[in-house]
Amino acid sequence: MTDLSRRDLLKSFVAAGVTIRLGALATVAEAAPSQGALVDEGWWDAARGVRHRVDAIAKVTGGKVFSRDYRARDLPGWPKTQSHAFLIRATKADRLFEDIDLSSLGAELQPDRIVRAEDLAKDGIHVPDPDYYGDVFLLPRGETPYLLGQPVALVIYHDFARYDAAKRRIKFDDTVVRYGRETGPRTLKHYAASRYVRIEGETPDADDRHSSVLNGVINGTFDGDKPVWSDTGGGLAVAAGIADGIAKADAGSLVLKRDYFIPFYDASAMETDNGNVWYDEKARALGLVFATQSPHRDALVIARMLKGTRFDLDKLDARFGDTVGYGTKDTAVFPLYCVLAGLYGDGRPVRLANDRFEQFQSGLKAHAFTMKKTLIVDRETSKFKAITADFTCHGGGRSNVTPNVARGSMRGIQSVYYVPKSDISVIALASRAVEAGSTRGYGCLQGICAAEMLVDEAAEELGLDPIEFRQRNAFKLGQKAPQGDIWGGTPRNEEMLARAKAHPLWKERAARKRAFEVENPGKRYGVGFAIAIKNYGGGPAQSNGTTSLSLSASGKLSMRSVVHEMGTGSATSQSAMVANVLGRPPEENIFSVIDWPELPLYSKPAANPQEQAKLEADPRYTRNFAPPMSASNSVHAFNFATEQAARALLRFSLWPAAQAIWAQSSPSVRFEDIQVTAAGIAAPGQAPLPLARLAAKAHELGLVTAVSLHTFRRGLRAAQADFDIPGVGVLRIDADALAVRYGDGASAERKALMRSGGFHFIERANLAYPPPTGERPRTETYSSKAILIELVVNTTTGDIELLSHHSIMDCGRAIVPQLVSGQIQGGVAMGIGFALHEYLPPFEDGPGDGTWNWNRYHLPHASEIAVWRQTEEILAPISDREPPKGIAEVTTIAAMPACANAIAHALGKRFYEFPISREKILKAVS
Amino acid sequence: MTIASTPLSLTVNGAAVGPVDVPDDLSLLDFLHEYVNLTGSRFGCGQGICHACVVILDHDDGVSEEIRTCITGAHYFNGRSIRTIEGHAKKREDGAIELTEVQQAFIENFAFQCGYCTPGFVTATTVLIERLRKTPVARADLETTITAALDHHICRCTGYVRYYQAVRGLIERTPGLLEA
Repeated sequence: MTDLSRRDLLKSFVAAGVTIRLGALATVAEAAPSQGALVDEGWWDAARGVRHRVDAIAKVTGGKVFSRDYRARDLPGWPKTQSHAFLIRATKADRLFEDIDLSSLGAELQPDRIVRAEDLAKDGIHVPDPDYYGDVFLLPRGETPYLLGQPVALVIYHDFARYDAAKRRIKFDDTVVRYGRETGPRTLKHYAASRYVRIEGETPDADDRHSSVLNGVINGTFDGDKPVWSDTGGGLAVAAGIADGIAKADAGSLVLKRDYFIPFYDASAMETDNGNVWYDEKARALGLVFATQSPHRDALVIARMLKGTRFDLDKLDARFGDTVGYGTKDTAVFPLYCVLAGLYGDGRPVRLANDRFEQFQSGLKAHAFTMKKTLIVDRETSKFKAITADFTCHGGGRSNVTPNVARGSMRGIQSVYYVPKSDISVIALASRAVEAGSTRGYGCLQGICAAEMLVDEAAEELGLDPIEFRQRNAFKLGQKAPQGDIWGGTPRNEEMLARAKAHPLWKERAARKRAFEVENPGKRYGVGFAIAIKNYGGGPAQSNGTTSLSLSASGKLSMRSVVHEMGTGSATSQSAMVANVLGRPPEENIFSVIDWPELPLYSKPAANPQEQAKLEADPRYTRNFAPPMSASNSVHAFNFATEQAARALLRFSLWPAAQAIWAQSSPSVRFEDIQVTAAGIAAPGQAPLPLARLAAKAHELGLVTAVSLHTFRRGLRAAQADFDIPGVGVLRIDADALAVRYGDGASAERKALMRSGGFHFIERANLAYPPPTGERPRTETYSSKAILIELVVNTTTGDIELLSHHSIMDCGRAIVPQLVSGQIQGGVAMGIGFALHEYLPPFEDGPGDGTWNWNRYHLPHASEIAVWRQTEEILAPISDREPPKGIAEVTTIAAMPACANAIAHALGKRFYEFPISREKILKAVS
Repeated sequence: MTIASTPLSLTVNGAAVGPVDVPDDLSLLDFLHEYVNLTGSRFGCGQGICHACVVILDHDDGVSEEIRTCITGAHYFNGRSIRTIEGHAKKREDGAIELTEVQQAFIENFAFQCGYCTPGFVTATTVLIERLRKTPVARADLETTITAALDHHICRCTGYVRYYQAVRGLIERTPGLLEA
């Protein structure tokens, strides 16, 4: 998508005299009748550390936590009456949309306002980034819908009773949307085609003979649904050589060709998409409350969407509640519909909130994939010789992030193994299906699923223990992936394989199977294994963070952070990270902060390296300001910024304050000698100085008392720059932007420097960003997870019972181990659901028809995931300085193929399509 | 506009509510959200499947019942007494919040993540504990008893483990809930 840079936004708003206010709902919650503050005070204590989540009290008492909980009456300054809206959607996409017919509502339930495509056109409202969000918000009359479930009108009611009655009356009424002649589905422009070909060098560690990193990715256009490859680097000839080798493979090689299918999934976040918007025409102000994982990006898009329309703005005030989305609320189109509802509310706040049927009909789905794979193995050495893959990614009717997800599937193609030759391609197709987007796994889930099932079957064909076979082919440090990337950090896949192989579930599986099946006629026992990796922190849009820490004269520590809580516990781990560095967490936390006046940064894409270098010479340039929230980037990106901010406060503020206090009695204390404890800063032979005393001294001396910084990472490397900090000197730190505030006792001259939002923005020097995407070879950071699943298949009913499972996780250094454990458990449950239960047909009988809910889409219950019989081990970090790794997505992935492999062990039959349902089991055993 | 409405009076968290004119076919969940501004009972499915919306119906004989509000009309509760999630913890005069033992067990065990389903789990567990106070269960049946009481509640984030462990721990350490 085309992104609007931060500077563009500021410029346009300054030009229009607009003020912008963006932030979390936490401050609003204090004014609302909720039962507890969103951040409570008892979550941490010096003796035990983190006692519970920072948001625990609000969540366990039913406080107003989510955007969905807020009505106009809860929002200070808003009118107290609340209007409600819903979208009328087309459920057929093969014929012309003629009109809507609301006669079934009778006179009494007619909407107070109907918004159609022509209203938007008249007012100058168009879809921003149509290549991303789709061509139209509301389908004009006389056109064929682009996708099933496409909105054709928005209706608004100024009271709840009539809204509720009207919505229920026409919910499943097929006469409301009138259609004309059949046209067949639209021909939509497909989204992407990419192909990666690689041949290793003399050795696995040597430079490749050919790779997409060295010779370029082969991109494609389309002839119908077929890709037409455009190759300038000679990759097609190399691919032809690989194909020829497969065709001529002799008896010394195992050639295994298999096709796999993974359907569309619904992430089924329990909070549906929703928003509440008030447009105050007189004040030219827009107030918004909506659920999102990408508040910064959504706000930019909304600002751009309204520029030049009838609804020009002077003020934009957006608030965001905690949410949950598993990716599906990341830069989705729904918030833009909420804005439309507010604009046409005739001055009243309007709430647009999906019910579950609507959420199935319109919420972003996980992509469906069809995957053809071929694996060639040397029978003598059991080593992989080559792999080819031909993937089709089904993206539905709007692009969203489909091209990136398609490419993401390529990262999973080889799982944790080394392959010397590979030819892998993916095409991303558009169709009338409900759109798919960012969802947990992001393509890797589908790619690794196929890989782990294929490897398992190959081991069986070779007569080898499946884990032993995996060990022989495990990826080693410095080896390259099929794209030519190198694994950053230390891969621990071999250690995980060894642990799994030694686990009693695996060692005793044959004996347990025999014993169980003798005792339980009609039931088959199986144990399956799979391992998975997921990259994190790789792209410029995902790897930056901003944190501010400030100390009051009385010692109160406050934090502001871009972190936006979505259930994973990011807010808690941010606060815990501060405690790790400073001995205690902040007393005050403000999350979801987007407005950072003290860091006046901008970002924009560069056309070439020369332009990039020129941009980076500007101290106000950054590669990217704020990423969306995802489980995989929060700890990697945001915790890093918080850790650096805490270290900076320690170095710039607490340390010189302590020096000043110790100067009389112990002038020889060095920075490296100090020890931070919950009691304060200590040094050899010195009692700890409490934070309150240090803060008072820092303010008295006019030292630095607040730090705001922005960090950027690529993989394990961070941007570094020199900063000349008054009173401290020139220091090189892991940040590309820094602002500080001085204490009350600072000189007038120093205080005069605090011109950026009350801070002194210190211009950096000698900036060094990590090498950009074109770096060769490129490193990728991964987390990994393995799982053993023990299950029983009932050959009479087709039911599958999970007996137990055991997870092995490498998450680096865990900040809050309980949160890591929770992510593992939740991810496994979701993976089991995907593997065994969850299924959505793509087209007319699928979710776009508006009749899907959890009665038909079965989510796993506790009794179906071995809730009492599951264990996990989290690998100890390789050192106490090892960075935490992004997880959560990887926890889901391995469970799917492990289920499939366990069923294969149980039945001696393999399945290639998910979900492996009762019906498929019965058909297989009949 | 004339939508058929009837006065409704009930007790919510010990306080009398109403009479207030309420549409005859309004769900209790919508009544709580839109008329009383109690939004802690969550809308999940609208079909009575996920149980995020449940509240406690307190019967005159002292029996507490978990009841789904998204599929139960508000008028069913006319003259009755319910406890919503907002009524479990107590707020002291100094503003501090006293959690119930169930709520405390959940937060100490990091039981939830997004927390959307949490009110439903608090409600169901509270009903279970109140039942066990009257009818203790054998230790050998503890896990099946918990599963039977909570299995219909859907959680998408956690995999249920920390909820269930919290409930088991609470029952085990609370005198009188297990058979001697």
